[in-house]
Amino acid sequence: MARTITVEGDVNAVDTRVLLTGQGSVSAPSLVVPAGMTKIKKIIMTAAADGLAAGEAVCFIRLGGNAVLGGEQTIMFGGEDSATVQAGSDAAPSLGSLFMIDDADIDVRPVDTISIAGEFAGVDVGDTAFAVTLIYGK
Amino acid sequence: MAKLYRSREGQVTAVDTKSQLTTLGSETAPGPLLVPSSIRTLKAIIAVFATDSSVAADGNIIVRIEGPGLPEGPETIAIGSHGVAVATGGHGSRSAKRFELDIPVTSGNEILIFAENVGEDVGTETVGVTLEFV
Repeated sequence: MARTITVEGDVNAVDTRVLLTGQGSVSAPSLVVPAGMTKIKKIIMTAAADGLAAGEAVCFIRLGGNAVLGGEQTIMFGGEDSATVQAGSDAAPSLGSLFMIDDADIDVRPVDTISIAGEFAGVDVGDTAFAVTLIYGK
Repeated sequence: MAKLYRSREGQVTAVDTKSQLTTLGSETAPGPLLVPSSIRTLKAIIAVFATDSSVAADGNIIVRIEGPGLPEGPETIAIGSHGVAVATGGHGSRSAKRFELDIPVTSGNEILIFAENVGEDVGTETVGVTLEFV
């Protein structure tokens, strides 16, 4: 049996830890690890940038809170870069990257709260949007 | 045993130059990356980079892991490449990649992570690496 939690949020400043607490139309999804779930089995992470600033940055998440038994876990998952176009030119869209860990195997305590934060590091590439799904199991 | 994930990132600004990754975003001085207690294996690394495409050139990015936490000595992994024909516009998005390794480590000792641009200079890169311990 598996359970999931997905959170998302905007990360608009470099080197800034941002808690991901929204879920689109659901503004405050529960961050309590479901009863009976003792591990994060899989993690899906994705991000997109508008590229309105010229730079290059790597994206990562921080999993923490009382529920994470091994302390904060940090995981790199994507890179965003932009060389801003000349004035009046068009820029092609950039498809956001997605990275999945199939065997994350992170111990968690059920019925306790997890925190999921997103961050990008390097040189500011503009605004970014992060989404993270945790798939719990036993 | 459950896995533990530890990360560092940093910039590479010159070709054929070993640059240590010592920061982690909002943590400007996270300190040495030590092999956690009771850990015996570096199961994998997860690595990703981004480049500002400021030079019309082509090159590769490699990661070096070194230090007393690696009793068998240093290791080197090619993590990706980049090339661009013009330096006047572009926008890229990359996924990290996981490289399965299974390398013995010594708990309580430090692992140093370096990145390097080889080939031609492709501008400035930010490189992020996660060590997956078990």
